[in-house]
Amino acid sequence: MRTGRKLSIAAMVMMVAMSSASAASLKVGLQDDPDALDPALGGTYAGRIVFEALCDKLVDIDGDLNIVPKLATEWSWNDASTELTLKLREGVVYHDGTAFDAESVKANIERMQTLAESKRKSELSPIKEVEVVDTHTVIFKLESPFAPLLSVLTDRAGMMVSPAAAEAAGDNFATAPVCSGPFKFVDRKARDSISLEKFADYWNADAIGYDSIEYLILPDSTVRLSRLQAGDLDIAERIAPTDIQTVKGDSRLALHESQGLGVSHLFINVREDSGSALAQHPELRQALELSLDRAAINQVAFNGAFTADNQMLTPLSVFHSKDHPMPARDIEKAKELIATTGVEAPALEITYENSLTDGRVAQIIQAMAGEAGFKVELLPLETSTAIERYLAGNFQLYIGNWSGRTDPDATLNTFFGSAGSQNLNGYRNAELDELLDQARREVRQEERIALYNKVTDILLTDLPTIPLYHPSWFYGAQASIEGINIYPDGLLRVAGVKPAN
Amino acid sequence: MSAAVAAPANTGSRNRSFLLRVLSQRSAVIGLAIVLFFVALAVFAPWIAPYDPIASDWLSVRQAPSAAHWMGTDDLGRDVLTRVIYGAQASLLAGLIAVSIAILAGLPLGLIAGYFGGWVDTIISRCTDALLACPFLVLAIALAAFLGASLQNAMIAIGISAMPIFIRLVRGQVLTIKNEDFVTAARGQGMRDRSIILSHILPNVVTPVVVQATITMAVAILAEASLAFLGLGQRPPAASWGSMLDVARQFMLDAPWMSIWPGLAIVTIVLGFNLLGDGLNDALNQKDD
Repeated sequence: MRTGRKLSIAAMVMMVAMSSASAASLKVGLQDDPDALDPALGGTYAGRIVFEALCDKLVDIDGDLNIVPKLATEWSWNDASTELTLKLREGVVYHDGTAFDAESVKANIERMQTLAESKRKSELSPIKEVEVVDTHTVIFKLESPFAPLLSVLTDRAGMMVSPAAAEAAGDNFATAPVCSGPFKFVDRKARDSISLEKFADYWNADAIGYDSIEYLILPDSTVRLSRLQAGDLDIAERIAPTDIQTVKGDSRLALHESQGLGVSHLFINVREDSGSALAQHPELRQALELSLDRAAINQVAFNGAFTADNQMLTPLSVFHSKDHPMPARDIEKAKELIATTGVEAPALEITYENSLTDGRVAQIIQAMAGEAGFKVELLPLETSTAIERYLAGNFQLYIGNWSGRTDPDATLNTFFGSAGSQNLNGYRNAELDELLDQARREVRQEERIALYNKVTDILLTDLPTIPLYHPSWFYGAQASIEGINIYPDGLLRVAGVKPAN
Repeated sequence: MSAAVAAPANTGSRNRSFLLRVLSQRSAVIGLAIVLFFVALAVFAPWIAPYDPIASDWLSVRQAPSAAHWMGTDDLGRDVLTRVIYGAQASLLAGLIAVSIAILAGLPLGLIAGYFGGWVDTIISRCTDALLACPFLVLAIALAAFLGASLQNAMIAIGISAMPIFIRLVRGQVLTIKNEDFVTAARGQGMRDRSIILSHILPNVVTPVVVQATITMAVAILAEASLAFLGLGQRPPAASWGSMLDVARQFMLDAPWMSIWPGLAIVTIVLGFNLLGDGLNDALNQKDD
């Protein structure tokens, strides 16, 4: 009897504890206010963090950048690499109750390809037709092979929204998005907060440890950190590299990190008519690279928290070339190279968006290149002016911060392909164009790796840009929260995240 | 010309007694001492600063104050003491040039508006009111952002923003002086307006303008620091107290010396100019013995 009562009390206590745990709300501090909460329109990193909880995608990545199932459980290419067949997960519904099926995938792809303001048009342009085979099988038909397609589907282009809700809401869809993710949209206060609540019919509801999520917009990293320390936030994104020790030193907090896909690089204008000595003398570009000590830049500017590197692709990627290790600083060689060109104290001007981190990197470069004999001027500009100049190709050197993509094509073709949208420095190389095109059509990984190795070879010879470092993602969280895993895309995946006990 | 007889208001002896009154005030003397101290720092910076203000030392980044670096080093391994000393140059230069711009533009406009009155006065005064309606720092930030980030543009922006105070001050002074007997007498003697303004009115507005200039120096130095803090002033890597604070903000807990010294320098120099300005103002408003 007595033990029975004790047990029942214990059971009641446990139930209360469990219900309080499952009634928990997760408070996440974001650095920026996301733009439109519609996967077809979104263009911000903060928006992608919110989408992780709101909208499931067809496929996902894991920590090693492998493609893994999400809404699509299996996929296969045909022999000509022109058709991608996807098997869809069964028993999935959108937040409005609409069933997730092959028709809705077709509708989503077509919506993102045709919506006037869609930002996914170029990503999805290789898909010429979506064929519905049965309720849970679709085929994406391409005009020509396009290997990066699967990686495109791991981001917003692969996020499925309810076609019925999209049709009904029209242009207002982003104000109350309806997807199929673990959380559904509740409310949004501009520049303040975004609230989501748990979606009871989610296909993987058991993995969801919170009943609601509130994203708070807190632009200052110091403020995010202090609110995290005060227990006011559960998780804060983009902890400043200089604050990492503070988080590590606080026993109530935990640091979650991942190397990132992004790269910070010194983009060089190589246009013949730019009048820049760097454009006329490739030796000067080489000398500039040799004058820099990337490891020291990383150490001084970021406490060594990032990854110093000489390539555009993250070392995490299998396409990162192992044949081209980062060269050591060599001031004497740099001076010799400058001497061979006959240019006296070559004048350089570095344009950058006026942020403290880029400012620090620019000043370090100025000092290092100065020791080799370059005369470096700094031109910090307010963000919109800087971007305007960047897009117009009106710069000699520009500190570019590229967020990176899972597939190398999206970085290398975009910056160095003759028709790339970020090819703003006038770089043209026919041989490189050919290699990039081949790599884009090649779905066999080993062959692609060999092709991108050649691409890196050309880029490190021509030096149209000098990659400096790959930033890492740092999330601070309460130590009691379990299951936080940050992948190279830097997003907060909510499945598996739960309060302790 | 009988100008000297007609204008007894401003003579050498009167100036001397004004100076004595200023020096008899302890706060003014302290203010003057502080200002002279910073002027000396700025002028002799190349000789007294222990290091090169822009030379980075990668091996001693954010080091606490030590025998080698009395005020520690910053995020790029530069000596903070050296940068505080060189920062005095940017601050004082910004203050001096901005106030000069404000006076050179404001003084003549104020004289013209006050002396001639009528529609000239209406136009100048209404424009002054419009400029004054906009908060000083907001106006300076807007102008600096428009002109582009550099110390030179920051000076121009601050100068233009400080100008309306001088127009209004001078106009007010002129309005009271122009009806004095000696001005009426000069006019009666057939002196031309230009001569009256230059030889009778101007000497009588110089003192309040000097007082105002001292106080405006404090405001201008603070504004330069604010603009530099926002990235609209002195371009890196040159030293400026405001931009030093901007960078130091990130390391408030790790490296407090990066923010304490430039912050203290700004507070002290602004205090110095304010004490001096107050002292001058009190001396000016004391009745003649």
